[in-house]
Amino acid sequence: MAVTPAEEAVATTDAPEAPTTAPEIPSTVPAEEPIPVIIPGEHPNEAPRLVPVPHVPGKALYKQILPGVMQVPLDLVLAASRKSSLWPMTFGLACCAIEMIGTYMAHYDLDRFGIVPWPSPRQSDVMIVAGTVTKKMAPAVKLLYEQMPNPKWVISMGACATNGGPYTRYDRVLQGVDKIIPVDVYVPGCPPRPEALIDSFLALQEKIMEERKSTGR
Amino acid sequence: MTSDQTETAPAPDLSSTIWSEVDRALAGITARPEKAVLDLVVYIPRDEVIEGLRRLKKDEGLAFDYLRSLTAVDLEEEGMEVVYHLYSTTKRLNVTVKASLPNDDLTIDTATTVWKAANWLERETAEMFGIRFNGHPDPRTLLMPEDMTDTFPLRKSHPLAEIEVLQGEGMGYSEEGE
Amino acid sequence: MVTEHAQEFETQDLLLNVGPQHPSTHGVFRMVLSVDGEVVRDVVPYIGYLHRGAEKLCETMDYRQGIGFMDRTEYLAAFNAELSYVMAVEALAELEVPERAQWIRMILCELNRLSSHFMFLGAFGIDVGVFATPFIYAWREREELIDLFEEVSGDRMMYAYFRPGGLAWDVPRNFKDRVRQVLKSARQGVADFNHLLTENEIFLARTRGVGAISAAEAIEWGMSGPSIRASGVPLDVRKDEPYLKYDQVDFDVIVGQNGDVYDRYYCRLMEMHESIKIVEQCLDKMPDSGPIMPEKMPRMLRTAPGEVYIRTEAPRGEYGIYLVSKGGNRPYRLKVRSACISNLQALKDMSVGQYVADAIIVLGSIDIVLSEVDR
Repeated sequence: MAVTPAEEAVATTDAPEAPTTAPEIPSTVPAEEPIPVIIPGEHPNEAPRLVPVPHVPGKALYKQILPGVMQVPLDLVLAASRKSSLWPMTFGLACCAIEMIGTYMAHYDLDRFGIVPWPSPRQSDVMIVAGTVTKKMAPAVKLLYEQMPNPKWVISMGACATNGGPYTRYDRVLQGVDKIIPVDVYVPGCPPRPEALIDSFLALQEKIMEERKSTGR
Repeated sequence: MTSDQTETAPAPDLSSTIWSEVDRALAGITARPEKAVLDLVVYIPRDEVIEGLRRLKKDEGLAFDYLRSLTAVDLEEEGMEVVYHLYSTTKRLNVTVKASLPNDDLTIDTATTVWKAANWLERETAEMFGIRFNGHPDPRTLLMPEDMTDTFPLRKSHPLAEIEVLQGEGMGYSEEGE
Repeated sequence: MVTEHAQEFETQDLLLNVGPQHPSTHGVFRMVLSVDGEVVRDVVPYIGYLHRGAEKLCETMDYRQGIGFMDRTEYLAAFNAELSYVMAVEALAELEVPERAQWIRMILCELNRLSSHFMFLGAFGIDVGVFATPFIYAWREREELIDLFEEVSGDRMMYAYFRPGGLAWDVPRNFKDRVRQVLKSARQGVADFNHLLTENEIFLARTRGVGAISAAEAIEWGMSGPSIRASGVPLDVRKDEPYLKYDQVDFDVIVGQNGDVYDRYYCRLMEMHESIKIVEQCLDKMPDSGPIMPEKMPRMLRTAPGEVYIRTEAPRGEYGIYLVSKGGNRPYRLKVRSACISNLQALKDMSVGQYVADAIIVLGSIDIVLSEVDR
């Protein structure tokens, strides 16, 4: 951030002169005419240069240059931007998927929160596990979770994804998706109402804001 | 026809069913009728059941060309029963055919030679009960995970899963594992 | 077009995995297509990703607790699923359902058929490529129907409203006016879809002649519902073996000609018209007051030993319940005859020889619900 006057920087360079001991390099400029030298401030078409601002040492420069701009910590900006455009991966497994689709649709609109369903795991932020996870499906769920880039969150929607739900006594059903992936928000219900899913997104947004100081995720 | 089939039980009233025509179609195969709440049930021994089904399909007067459902019932000591529900689209008739399997030899011939619809239904019955269908063209598992094929869930001897109890005295599995 | 030069090449078919998670809304279904260029040579479907053991768990529940499991096997047409189950229990327990309850059951089942077919139109539109427009309009109609169901039963999707013997509680007082209001909006919705899709050139080019199956093959595979009626077989449980009061109302069975994807779509669309007709006739014939449960209902329902196979016409096909009871208040064996698994068996015959994009819409036109396939 050193501010050197523009005139000093330019004045240190000399006009280029033809070197006497260099080998013969064919030049594209005819040797008769001298190469013009432009001294700043003298060319008629030149735009006016910026004048360096006077600064008071000891005070942050950006406060002096841009008065009136709110200074915000970087983590707040990042957290606010992440929570305002969560893109869930469409991962409906069973009956809860129908309520999830109903929440995306025009009646209980989720798009107004910035939530856009996105089919690809590699470009989404949130994974809504909507429905029962069976042991046959569990490796695919884990693979999809690992394919999502950080930062990522998981909403476990419905009773089946929370702890197996009504099917928990069957031994081919995984008793809750939190046995294989970490879950951030649990939504109870069988199936949860669309308002409950909207509430879970709001809770996830609060969680993202609260956790903004933690790094490494 | 009805009085010939009874030993000690009272003769079932089969006059409102199609037993007479079914009996004519199954001539030569030992078949024992009974009346369920809605349909006629015919018990055929398992060695002759595929032949019986084929005759029921090809018969002109009955023409059971539609296999509605194929499943099995686990009667614990008496073995298992494979149940076929048949329907005739042209004549609108229903019949149920059952074949009994003893517990120590759970094999039966496949019905895919008679109807193609038996394909997946037999795969599912095989993996749920452990019955082997001889001659099935594709005996892979249908609904089970590939690594859990050695237990058969729908048998009566198969237990339910235990639930973790994560509150209370200590974290562990619940006592009643019924 | 195969030239002589191309025949000298020895190519290997590409295995394309349409995995358990995919952008269409069919649920966790996986199929492995082996394609030669863009033409599908072989289809191997893998199911079982949603196998939750409803049949095993129902053996431990008594007859009233099992109604919730039947809802969840066919979540888009839950009233039809509950109907089969309670009819089976009533047949074994020899209960007589009062008249008003039967008419209300019929109205709710036909309205559920409407809402399920709206969902089909939306999801099928996504497969064909119309993407979101029919889906959003379909859900607008569905929300009207679901609001009515919520007023009647208390839940948007898992109703648990039918009980062995009748209904859980009586319908609200303004039921008939509400149903007429909902029918008006549904009629407009069906007309909208008709305008949008039926004579749309692109839609016709996409779906005509694709995925055809003949009537004999369809009967051999055991298909049912609109998927087999599109092939020309007039198989409808409501006409062949009438239950509830279907013999007292007047409606047509919609039968197609070619058995291709367009015919399956059109059969479902026309069936929605027929459903609206049936509901209007039911509203006229329904008694305004009356009991909804038989007078002497036991506190714990027990049935006599026996077995029964009850079949009804769900929106996807023939939904059957095979119930074996050895006395007591629990089923001994409950088998759900699901229409979707029988329809899905014919997928290979319908898709081989088509392009990859056509295989996707063939799958969409069978209209499967995975929890019914896997139970």
